[in-house]
Amino acid sequence: MSKTKITVSRRQFVAGAAASSLVMGLGTVLGGCSADEAVSDLTVAKGSLSFSPVIWFEIDGSGLVTMNIVRAEMGQHVGTALAQVIADELGADWEQVRIQHVDTDSKWGYMVTGGSWSVHTSFTQLSQAGAAGRIVLADAGAKLMGVDPSSCHVEGGHVFAGSTSLSFAEIIQVGDIARRFSSEELAALPIKAPADRRIIGRDVSALDVPAKTDGSAQYGLDVTRPGMVYGIPLVPPTRYGSKAIGIDDSAARALDGYLGAIPIADPTETLQGWVVVAAETMPMAIKAASAVQVEWQGGDTANINESDLLAEGLRLAQDTSSGTTVVNDGDVDTALASAAKQLQAVYRTATALHFTLEPQNAVVEFDEAGQCHIYAGNQWQSLILPLLTQVLGLPETDIVIHQQYLGGGYGRRLFGDQMIPAVLAARELGRPLKLIFDREADSRFDCVRSPTVCTFAASFDQQGALSGIDHAAVAGWPTLSMAPGFMAPGVAGLGKFDPFSISGAEHWYSVPAHRIRAINNELAQKTFLPGWLRAVGSGWTGWGVESFMDEIAHELSEDPLALRLRLLDGAGKNAGGEGSTIGGAARLRSVLEDVAIRSNWGTELPAAEGMGVAVCHGQERGMPTWIACVAHVAITPESGDISVKKLWQTIDVGTVVNPSGAMAQAEGAALWGLSLALHEGAEFEQGQVKQRNLDTYTPLRMSDVPELDIVFIDSDVFPSGLGEPPLIPVAPAIGNAVFAATGKRVRDLPIRLS
Amino acid sequence: MVKFRLNGEQVVSESPTDTLLLWVLREEMKLTGTKFGCGIAQCGACTVHLDGSPARACVTPVQAVANRSITTIEGLASPVGQALQQAWESEQVPQCGYCQSGQIMQAATLLEQNPQPSDADIVSYMNGHLCRCMAYPRIQRAIAVAADRAITEEPAQ
Repeated sequence: MSKTKITVSRRQFVAGAAASSLVMGLGTVLGGCSADEAVSDLTVAKGSLSFSPVIWFEIDGSGLVTMNIVRAEMGQHVGTALAQVIADELGADWEQVRIQHVDTDSKWGYMVTGGSWSVHTSFTQLSQAGAAGRIVLADAGAKLMGVDPSSCHVEGGHVFAGSTSLSFAEIIQVGDIARRFSSEELAALPIKAPADRRIIGRDVSALDVPAKTDGSAQYGLDVTRPGMVYGIPLVPPTRYGSKAIGIDDSAARALDGYLGAIPIADPTETLQGWVVVAAETMPMAIKAASAVQVEWQGGDTANINESDLLAEGLRLAQDTSSGTTVVNDGDVDTALASAAKQLQAVYRTATALHFTLEPQNAVVEFDEAGQCHIYAGNQWQSLILPLLTQVLGLPETDIVIHQQYLGGGYGRRLFGDQMIPAVLAARELGRPLKLIFDREADSRFDCVRSPTVCTFAASFDQQGALSGIDHAAVAGWPTLSMAPGFMAPGVAGLGKFDPFSISGAEHWYSVPAHRIRAINNELAQKTFLPGWLRAVGSGWTGWGVESFMDEIAHELSEDPLALRLRLLDGAGKNAGGEGSTIGGAARLRSVLEDVAIRSNWGTELPAAEGMGVAVCHGQERGMPTWIACVAHVAITPESGDISVKKLWQTIDVGTVVNPSGAMAQAEGAALWGLSLALHEGAEFEQGQVKQRNLDTYTPLRMSDVPELDIVFIDSDVFPSGLGEPPLIPVAPAIGNAVFAATGKRVRDLPIRLS
Repeated sequence: MVKFRLNGEQVVSESPTDTLLLWVLREEMKLTGTKFGCGIAQCGACTVHLDGSPARACVTPVQAVANRSITTIEGLASPVGQALQQAWESEQVPQCGYCQSGQIMQAATLLEQNPQPSDADIVSYMNGHLCRCMAYPRIQRAIAVAADRAITEEPAQ
């Protein structure tokens, strides 16, 4: 057990959900006993040992509300948004709200930050927690004021009854706040009507911003522990199958403070053939890392190049027996066989890096009791912790990840594999260790976005109408290697597929026959560890789907935007359902109509300029974020240079919790889309990532930023997610604009005209 | 042993003289606001002021700053520095925040020499700084806001 001790002698108010009850109030918390432990005790007393309590917020006797944030802060200001959700229902004074990002503990439940899920998946639970708190405080306040609770209302950290009021602080100091809620009671709690919201939808300042302007924000790389030494990994020539067969550290031994070159024996074989060089200081560790000579025997992918991976992808896509059928609506084979005309295309994307600006790192310290403490920023603690138990042979309760700010996530920090060499080297040395990847190692062992291949075949019937689309999508699958439990079954019950690697393919257009086949590129899977990169599958399937839709429009001699509007008829399965899917394709049609007007779609443009349109539904059909995007490009004919002059997006994400934060995410994600379309792109060469630093890997810079015109639809529909989706339609909108400007169809990312 | 002035105070580094200033600041002086990003002076996350000019600490040996003056984000106390930090908050610039120390340090030297930069001035001066979250629109806007505020407030100073 490790957590921030909230040792108090004053009274505290604690809210948390347990298996069958929400522990809402405690009497006096005993000195020396943390609020967390007190709640745990209650839960244990109820015989719920198998399920730990989840504690979302606490209010102390001064009225300060501390929200415990389970999600990782990597730029999305998630703590602020989630705190807004709780604070609104609670009726808190926002000025009294604080957040803390918590360390791992089973009581928090499943810890993952990704998929643009956080607000969507937490909204109801956190609203109910806030509502329960409001009810307890209102009841206790009413009692103190001698009024009926139904005559009270709660706002701004006070309970009001007519012209009198009590602050939360006053109520907590003396009031009766012991109360339990069953899960049924919780679910039945009245949640505010959207019109009554005071904090949701407000542009409150993000609570992590001040620390990020004065240098005080602490990232994993900034952690220091007493007696700490430094380690730098020397990484092998291939991800798998490499062995360090000789280590010559004779030159390093002369260095003052050199501690050794430690072969990493990872029993899980997640890392193979790694060596960590350690020294008393970072400068000495750097010198030692270049002085140590390791002789490796590489694995059998040591000769694999990007072209091999793409060729294998194409071979698999064209082999109709490969992969898993994910969608099979109508009869594609008959549509194709009886087609008066067919249209076929192959879309590809190159390897792409996360390139988090903070290189991978971890600080590890074993305490006197043998517990392993890891200080690092991480997006999926519930994924790496079980792996670390195998690496260390320790139970999960003896390993604690102390969450830090993430110097970029984008999906890279969903996998905490850098912790493996750090814990093993620290244990070997018997000293606290800070392990830092140099930039080249970070890039070489990034969990890259796989190179991908999509093939499309569209059929047109005797009347010339679109009758079917057949789509095959090939990639390395992150979920297969890192989280196989999340693989999904195909439609025929045969085989499994990585749902995150195909999610954008199941579009909301009504087409009589539609088939999607998801195929794993086993050669890619063997060559590197495929990763989840911002927008994941939709980031590359969307490139093909929306570019090919443009090709279909031109084949039909129809305006690409008009074709989309026509096919987004909301029929059948595209009608949508409950929650965030309500409205279905009609909402996508609405954002498309809006962006058409705002971009003045159809206007005459000068020569070598063009506009392109694309849409997306976000990360998942079940959690749609509806976006339409128009790109305006200008081509320099002589050089083939593509300049994006302006990007428009209209976004319907449902309820927006923090408009300023939402716009920041939309701008950042849209620019990521632009960067992946034109500026980024790596390749495997001899089994390794070739572009390893900013001299060769060149993400978008300030001078490349076009005019951005992004608007959100005003909505009180249940919120979906925003961190990734605005990325998705940018590349196809640019590609379609390039076609409009030049007549040349581009089918590879990054886009190159010369 | 290298003596230099750090955020206004005289300090002595005991590190070997060829040690990069970045590691002296971060690990010896425990000033971690200056970040390690690329290590080849291409991202700007390690930018500090060396006698008032921007310098990339990841490629600067500590011996090169002997008897000179270094300012890091922790010691940025100039009026333009403060105006920038206020603008960074009012415009809600940082996302992950990792590059922002370097961005602010670079922007401070811009406003010292060019108090009213045009948009083009800002872009060209800041283009060497990577923001991986791509918060560029707000970085650019915050610099313009800080410049406006610094100009407006000058007569009062």
